[in-house]
Amino acid sequence: MGSYQEKIAGEFPLVAVVDDDESVRESLPDLLREFGFATHSFSSAEEFLTSDRLVQTGCLILDIAMPGMTGLDLQRELKLRGHSIPIIFISAQKDEVVRRRAFQQGAVEFLFKPFSDTALLQALNTALRVR
Amino acid sequence: MKVQLEHPADEIKRLQRCINDLVSLLTLPAMWSGNKPCDIVQTLLDSLLRMLDLDFVYVSLTNLVDAAASETVRVPQSQEQMFRPRELCTFLNRWLGDDPQKRYLQERSHLGDEEVSLVSWPLGVQREIGVIVAGSRRADFPRDTEALLLSIAANQALIGLQEARLLSEQKRVADELDQSVAQRTAELAAANEVLRMEVAERRRAEEALKRSEAFLAEAQRLSLTGSFSWRIDTDEITFSEQLYRIFDLDPDAPVTLEQIGSRVHPEDISLLSEKMDLARRSINDHDYEIRLRMPDGRVKYLRTKSYGIRHKDGRLEHIGAIQDVTEHRLAEEALSKLRTELTHMARVTTLGALTASIAHEVNQPLSGIVTNASTCLRMLTLDPPNVEGARETARRTIRDGNRASDVITRLRALFSKTDTIAEQVDLNDATREVIALSLSELQGNRVILRSELADDLPLITGDRVQLQQVILNLLRNGSDSMNTVHDRPRELLIRTERDEDDRALLSVKDAGIGFDPQSTDKLFQAFYTTKNDGMGIGLSVSRSIIEHHDGRLWATLNDGPGATFSFSIPCRSNT
Repeated sequence: MGSYQEKIAGEFPLVAVVDDDESVRESLPDLLREFGFATHSFSSAEEFLTSDRLVQTGCLILDIAMPGMTGLDLQRELKLRGHSIPIIFISAQKDEVVRRRAFQQGAVEFLFKPFSDTALLQALNTALRVR
Repeated sequence: MKVQLEHPADEIKRLQRCINDLVSLLTLPAMWSGNKPCDIVQTLLDSLLRMLDLDFVYVSLTNLVDAAASETVRVPQSQEQMFRPRELCTFLNRWLGDDPQKRYLQERSHLGDEEVSLVSWPLGVQREIGVIVAGSRRADFPRDTEALLLSIAANQALIGLQEARLLSEQKRVADELDQSVAQRTAELAAANEVLRMEVAERRRAEEALKRSEAFLAEAQRLSLTGSFSWRIDTDEITFSEQLYRIFDLDPDAPVTLEQIGSRVHPEDISLLSEKMDLARRSINDHDYEIRLRMPDGRVKYLRTKSYGIRHKDGRLEHIGAIQDVTEHRLAEEALSKLRTELTHMARVTTLGALTASIAHEVNQPLSGIVTNASTCLRMLTLDPPNVEGARETARRTIRDGNRASDVITRLRALFSKTDTIAEQVDLNDATREVIALSLSELQGNRVILRSELADDLPLITGDRVQLQQVILNLLRNGSDSMNTVHDRPRELLIRTERDEDDRALLSVKDAGIGFDPQSTDKLFQAFYTTKNDGMGIGLSVSRSIIEHHDGRLWATLNDGPGATFSFSIPCRSNT
């Protein structure tokens, strides 16, 4: 576990979390740090887009339904701006249409809330390998 | 130049010639009959020249209608060098003078170098017709026979000319008469033409009026609008053709207030008499709607717009238009009914939408709980365990658990707040509506739905919308349970029946995956679900609705594949 943590932390310093739900913003970074990732949380897509952490972000864990810009909107916006950050979507709504759309737009993984820690880790591995 | 002979034989000859000449003179009037004066004068002069041995003969006519040739002179060809007609005329005019009293003249006179005997003979007693002058160089002119012939010729000419004059006068009178007749005829023709034009104009006006009346009638027929006038003082009422049709009254009989009253809907009689009382008092405008009840029971909606006019003599008259707006009104009512149904359907489907939003609300804290718990576990498995971190995440887990519980509390509050309506509900009707509502969704899932609705189902008392939410939920659950079924038909059977305790029973039987018999009790608990994307809300809410109706909701496994969900409600529910 130790060498894995070092490896991840060294090569990919930042996993960003964008979710309007506070309990996710509190719990998910702890778990990510347990995994060994550096992490930072944002409460909205707009906040992430204007942040200087954007360029350091190696992977984005992104909520779908948010007030203002949605997860899918942010995914399109990043693509338009030329940022090819791998994205793992998380959603409380079991909407297959949205899930399909996210994959069409290049999502690495799409997890329905609540998801297990192993499912998340697997998704992160896929995302970072893609990178 | 002839010399008078003393010889008797010559004398006889002369007299015979004279007689011959007289006879031919007497035939002249027969020749002249119908001739013009100038023609008469010509033949007279020719005859005189031929009969008498003259050097010239002259006739002057006065006061004639045909005044073209008032002076005529005739000279034999042999004498033309000696007596020029123009000079002769001038000379004789002077010789005759203007005195009409000079009836008869005879003298020798000098005409240029010649000495001539002149004889004049009046035509008419005082030359009123004219005068004849005959001239000869002979000194013995006129001899007795010549004078006789001349006088006879003059008389004959007088008669001829008078006849001609008379004829001419007659002709003139006839002409004048003709002319005045022609003029009168022309005037009559002109007057006739004016009259004809006036008639044509009137006919055109009448046709235009008829056409305009036809247009009006057609417009009234098409727009289902009739017009009326009502004289307040005499209660005389005039209806247009279309208004007769609207009221279905005999168009040949005059309209009476009684007839109108017999057509007006009993509930609107008081409205009408109120409006009529107002109309009797003032010239105000009126705009109101009234219903008719026709003899066959049909109800017509009439829109009335009228206004009063005060005539110069003080009489009051009301004039107005009445439109049959029945179709419009019925369409409005149908629309309103449709809108109510639509609202109703929206309420029926609310549970589905609510379930989705509840899913979102609950999944958020649930996600936090799972993540925190995972983190907590990981922290505790470290060597040494991160107890402080684990404690913090455990605290968060508890907090998220409470948040989830809050969501449930809010949900319960939401349902208990819903006003329950107690009404008589025909469960069959309610079921048919839900089937209609969900048919396309079921077809989309390739589900075959059969329904067996009992005829003897008792009415129940309750909230139709809530019961329909339950039915819809059961249908959707049944359909969802067959989503993964590919080896048998996806059959869904919805049944209603009267059970042994006279309760209304409804069951939905599917051919789906069924459920674990061990967890039958859990099925109706909140958040228990066998579906991949289910929330476990629907059945829980459904059970509370049914229990609220003093009923029971339960599930059984089929002998074959699938399950059956049923509820029964007593027909006398004390909701």
